[in-house]
Amino acid sequence: MNEDQSEDKAYWQSLQQWARATGEPQVGAAGTSADVQGESVGGGAATGEFSSTPLKEGAEDGWARREFMKLMGASLALSTTACVRRPVQKIVPYNKQPEEVTFGVDNFYTSTWFDGSEGFGLLIKTREGRPLKVEGNPRFPLNAHGLSPRALAHILSLYDPDRLREPLRNIQNKEKGKERANHDSVATKWDAADEEVVASLKKGGVALLTGSLPSPATRAVIADFLQGFPGQHYEWDPLSVEDVRRAQELCYGHDLVPSYRINRARLIVSVDSDFLGTWLTPTTFQRQFAEGRRDANRMNKLVAFDSNYSVTGANADVRVKIKPSLQLDVVMGLAFEIIVKKQATRWAGNSQLAQVLQPFADAAQRLGVEAHVWSRLADELIQYKGESLVIAGGLPAQTAQGIELQSAVNLLNSALENDGVTVDYRRPFKGLAGAHSSLEHLIESMEKGEVTTLIVHRANPVYASPLSARFLAALKKVPMVVSTSDRNDETAKFADFVLPDSHPMESWGDAEFVEGLFAIQQPTIRPLFDTRSFQFSLMSWAYLAEKGPERLRKFENFYDYLKNYWKTEVFPRYGKGKSFVDFWEQALQTGMVGEPSEGVSEAGKGSSVIGAVRDVKLEALSGIKRTDSPQGYELVLYPTKALYDGSLANVSWLQELPDPVTKITWDNYLCVSVNTAKKENLVDEGLAELKVGELALKLPVHVQPGLHDGVLAVAVGYGRTDAGSVGNHVGVNVYPLAGVSGELKGRPIFSGRSATVTRLRGKYPLAMTQDHHSMEGRKIVVEATLKEYLKNPAVHNHKHHVWSIWGGHAYNGNKWAMAVDLNTCTGCNACVVACQSENNIPVVGKKYVIQGREMHWMRIDRYYVGEPDNAEVVFQPVMCQQCTNAPCETVCPVLATTHSSDGLNDMTYNRCVGTRYCSNNCPYKVRRFNWFSFNGNIEKPLHLALNPDVTVRDRGVMEKCTFCVQRIKAKRIQVKLEGRGLKDGDIQTACQQSCPSSAIMFGDINDPNSRVSQWFKEARAYSLLEEFGADPSVRYLTKIRNNEQETRSAESAKVEHQVEPQVEHQGGRT
Amino acid sequence: MIKRNQLILGDKSMKNITEDIVAPVESFPGRGWSAMFLGANGLFIFYITVVGIVIAYGMGLLGVTHPTAWGTMIVTFVFWIGIGHAGTLISAILFLFRQKWRTSVARTAEAMTVFAVMTAGIFPLIHTGRPWLDYWLFPYPNQRGPLWVNFRSPLLWDVFAVSTYATVSIVFWYIGLVPDFATIRDRAKDRIRRVIYGALSLGWRGTARNWSHYEMLYLLLAGLSTPLVLSVHTIVSFDFAVSQLPGWHTTIFPPYFVAGAIFSGFGMVVTLMTLVRIGFPQFKDYITIDHMEVMNKIIMATGLMVGYAYGSEFFIAWYSGNEYERFTFINRALGPYAWSYWVMICCNVLIPQVFWFKKFRRSIPVMFTVSIFVNIGMWFERFVITVTSLARDFLPANWGMYQWSFYDAGVLVGSFGMFLTLFLLYLRLFPAISIAEIKPVMNVGKEGSHHG
Repeated sequence: MNEDQSEDKAYWQSLQQWARATGEPQVGAAGTSADVQGESVGGGAATGEFSSTPLKEGAEDGWARREFMKLMGASLALSTTACVRRPVQKIVPYNKQPEEVTFGVDNFYTSTWFDGSEGFGLLIKTREGRPLKVEGNPRFPLNAHGLSPRALAHILSLYDPDRLREPLRNIQNKEKGKERANHDSVATKWDAADEEVVASLKKGGVALLTGSLPSPATRAVIADFLQGFPGQHYEWDPLSVEDVRRAQELCYGHDLVPSYRINRARLIVSVDSDFLGTWLTPTTFQRQFAEGRRDANRMNKLVAFDSNYSVTGANADVRVKIKPSLQLDVVMGLAFEIIVKKQATRWAGNSQLAQVLQPFADAAQRLGVEAHVWSRLADELIQYKGESLVIAGGLPAQTAQGIELQSAVNLLNSALENDGVTVDYRRPFKGLAGAHSSLEHLIESMEKGEVTTLIVHRANPVYASPLSARFLAALKKVPMVVSTSDRNDETAKFADFVLPDSHPMESWGDAEFVEGLFAIQQPTIRPLFDTRSFQFSLMSWAYLAEKGPERLRKFENFYDYLKNYWKTEVFPRYGKGKSFVDFWEQALQTGMVGEPSEGVSEAGKGSSVIGAVRDVKLEALSGIKRTDSPQGYELVLYPTKALYDGSLANVSWLQELPDPVTKITWDNYLCVSVNTAKKENLVDEGLAELKVGELALKLPVHVQPGLHDGVLAVAVGYGRTDAGSVGNHVGVNVYPLAGVSGELKGRPIFSGRSATVTRLRGKYPLAMTQDHHSMEGRKIVVEATLKEYLKNPAVHNHKHHVWSIWGGHAYNGNKWAMAVDLNTCTGCNACVVACQSENNIPVVGKKYVIQGREMHWMRIDRYYVGEPDNAEVVFQPVMCQQCTNAPCETVCPVLATTHSSDGLNDMTYNRCVGTRYCSNNCPYKVRRFNWFSFNGNIEKPLHLALNPDVTVRDRGVMEKCTFCVQRIKAKRIQVKLEGRGLKDGDIQTACQQSCPSSAIMFGDINDPNSRVSQWFKEARAYSLLEEFGADPSVRYLTKIRNNEQETRSAESAKVEHQVEPQVEHQGGRT
Repeated sequence: MIKRNQLILGDKSMKNITEDIVAPVESFPGRGWSAMFLGANGLFIFYITVVGIVIAYGMGLLGVTHPTAWGTMIVTFVFWIGIGHAGTLISAILFLFRQKWRTSVARTAEAMTVFAVMTAGIFPLIHTGRPWLDYWLFPYPNQRGPLWVNFRSPLLWDVFAVSTYATVSIVFWYIGLVPDFATIRDRAKDRIRRVIYGALSLGWRGTARNWSHYEMLYLLLAGLSTPLVLSVHTIVSFDFAVSQLPGWHTTIFPPYFVAGAIFSGFGMVVTLMTLVRIGFPQFKDYITIDHMEVMNKIIMATGLMVGYAYGSEFFIAWYSGNEYERFTFINRALGPYAWSYWVMICCNVLIPQVFWFKKFRRSIPVMFTVSIFVNIGMWFERFVITVTSLARDFLPANWGMYQWSFYDAGVLVGSFGMFLTLFLLYLRLFPAISIAEIKPVMNVGKEGSHHG
């Protein structure tokens, strides 16, 4: 209270100063007339300061006429209008300015982040000590400059208002025979909590349950801790890659997750592994995939067998829809075709193998693939021996036969000599140790009463495990449960103490994502709340209990421990010839230490073979049986690009990020094929009951073109109940649908379970950002096959004769332009979130997305082409096209949107009155209007994530993509200070920078040598709606599919079949 | 020479005329008027509330969204502006053409014009995202640079067109009222009336000099108003025609809009006149079935013109060979908004065809019903143009429907509250028929009159 009052006083004082300084009427004086009257006494210092200005009223005038008029004017203004100017707030400069900080200039710090499956090297942009944006670290060999939407959006989890601000004690009902239940939550102090936790730890029986931890120092802390307090460390992830590791162990005797070198593969056969969307390290894979597509003469070919319509399927050159029970048919069938039928590879003639493969002889028939196509695929695999890759994985591939599938994949990769070339087992992924069997073991040990203290870190099994119920029941036998979650989430609710871990941006850490590649996680802000890093909690408890090895207890914080760890473990390996101080500082500066794995460096460099082909132990395959696929529907669970496992469900940017394929936000839904919808009488946005085993869930329906008729697909990661105000009760939690059988040792069956669906009455509007799915035969996304392209690079790229009697304006300096390569764009949405983060774009919520009020400046249009049954997908990122003859500019009555001398279509927000005429006249409809005060509702401290370089737009103002004009200006200033001119590549827009495929190019079109000029000159380049004559500054490059079809002639590409699968949209839009 | 029907029935004397017309102004309102006024007033207050809420919370309360950034407010704006046209046409153009039948309906039609333009004029102001900055739409010397308006923008032309039209209409209407105000002043029995109407009559004395000036001014204003009848809706149509959206970007819009405006204006005049005849039975002698029939003929003629325009649009869309243009028109007739298109066609083209029959032309119930349909149809015409073109334009990924909400209904219905409140007040405060102009034509068509 006191603080508030003093703040108020300061505020009024500052108002008075302001009023005196400017001679303005004293706004707000009505409430504090006493202060006003006493001004000659109170405001001495300020009066002196401004006494020399001519605006100053003579003090001797006292209540002179003008003074009276001022006050009258002010009170009139106050009584007649509510539009008082924003309060003047004092800002206080640094007392001692840190050396590296300059006001208004960004500082970048290298760091790293692990999203549960993928690790990123980051550059975190900070301004005056406040992290603002996450960017990729171009030197980091995995993701480089590219990022995933989740990595970009995780900055919001730092400023999440729903984070715990202090330790919490959950008072549990622990009566006999009852489960634990949270009775009440109260705030507590660290000291008090530590005391109780330490007392419990001393009793022994310690268990740590964590997610996968790629941080070697953290693993060291845990190992040290468990030396002091004997116990077990269990690692579990809801979406673990246990299947890959188990199969590697069975086939080769190595428990590892190999790095896949997509860039080396000229033919990729993917069986439900959404490696471009969600599986393993999609950002790195996407970069490598794009690398393999740029050279038309060596363009890779992706054949995807897809149970769900995944991002990988959408980008496939050939996509074959399957259901989970057919996955083994694909891989084993190909193996049969290659090894037995075509007698290729080293196992040709192996009778033991032939026997195992024999049942899969008719795989092509079962898959519905024509025999010659199947045979050709096998031929191509043989042809590209050592240059191909077969992969399977992800939730849709975790069926009851998931490990058999992976073993079969290993067989093919070894047979085709990809092992050791595109499958890099020498430099495997590290830190993906999470396993479902581990959780099973923990539960068993809890059930036996062996666990006295359970510490849960970065794991939420109550929400995300199908073993949830058993876990909860076992939990009541654990006397002390500690969670380090940053919120009282589904699992933390059942913990006695929630001792919040600091956010990764607030704490030190390190990572080793790929063997021999280290990175340091640097904090970029002091902890916002009273939180403590997990590692330091462990260290503190060891210190208090005086247990554990000395190095765990002697350091005062985790930073020292980390540094010491690096000095003793990492430095000797990689710091030869340097002092540790130099080594450490260099590591912090570059963001990485160690050798980049060859597999992730540029293609064509170094030797392609990194190891000999490992021989598959054939006994690992002997158990593979062909099962007849069930007649009914099969369940497919899949993670989404935006939410993945659901851990970031409270990040609104991710909730409002449209799914790349379905374009639906804020919900999960049941995907059914067009035929299934007809058969089961289901309609889009209707309701249906999905029944799997004993469990029935009510879900909204989405009719998905191109889905297998035997599939019912739903996304995991939704339906959180304790994620926070954004993520709670968005969608339905479908983790419980995954079955668990004893023989699989706790490994759940995520897909392939038999399911039924029944229509329910009622409607459920889904928030789609795009409701019309066909190009209507218009030339919007131009597509060609590789064959056509090699014959004629400008194929299907029909140029219009556009002319004008007017020569146009001259652009003497720069003229900014952008080009988008539709051939490498995978629709991943990273650009959309990067743009949102850079440009302070608000989130509007489900209701308003349904009404079409989403604010994304950049959107990715998705069209279906072909027959609805086998629809193919094309993506097209659309941002403001910065037209040279911009139709929006001429119609604005107040000149709020005008053209700049460097070719930009500028928007002056504070001049805009909001007639929206510009939007009507924009053929691309890229302008977005602030229908409400979306930005006025930003809850603190989320406002700290706002970019100070970009205006925060208020209600009633039109906005749109600016080509990141603030970045252009900042760079101009910088090069001027450096005394040089702008170079090509100096300026990168946010979307360009974050694109893992480098599919977006930005630069100066007036410079004939700039890369964007080169792209403009490509035969594939075309402008969208060229015939409209707006002369946009954006070009798109034709999408090329590397497949056999040469069916799409120029005419048929223009007039495509319409894909409007009996879509009955009830949500208001078309 | 063809025998003409009498313009004024009932064999009125000059005194009768004055008394008949002034009666509503001089008598205390009856129950019917009061009830209607309260209803209209309630609706008006509702309107103010709805508009207030929209201004307070944001345009998003209405159905306007991405991509249909214009909707109810613009549709209703054009609707009301269109309504206004009949008044000016009757009072100015028909005056210049010496159409004597116009005198009975001119005053009320003009009043309708003024109120319709007032109702309409509010919409462009409240439909902006930040209405408190609307004054930026006017070019005036300022300290922001000075920052001027964009003279290339049709919206700015709109500002000038509508404000000019409003000004001229009000002046023209007021000038016509001056002699009648003097009549009321002269008949006033209490001081307040005398003072108020005295002030309104601007010192009218009825001298020859007064009349001479008056007639010359009236003639000049009629001349000035005449081009406005054509220009206002032409410029309003530029809002659409000058922009580049398929379905908007057509050269037929100016004449098509003017024809439509006259059509809808006469529709509204007939609606109001039938109501006035019911409310003030003595007016039946002045606003005769003959008058109504003439107006119905105009409705039918302009309805056919509008119908021709609809057809012509389709032909040009096909003839242009432009795929977007073709799609837009096919989409209008067969797309998700086909219902609104067919409502429009029925109301504007088909239903007015009943006026081919004299019996229907002279039937009050029939003409009232038809006029209501014309009003509905013309609102939908603007809806079809504005919304269907925006909802589906170039890139199918953008397509989206209008999100009709309670507030859309509120501003549409509420605007009638404003209009009717003003109109009902007018009926009680101003002489609804021009006394001064009726008297010269009282003998037209009379047996044995020297006018023949």
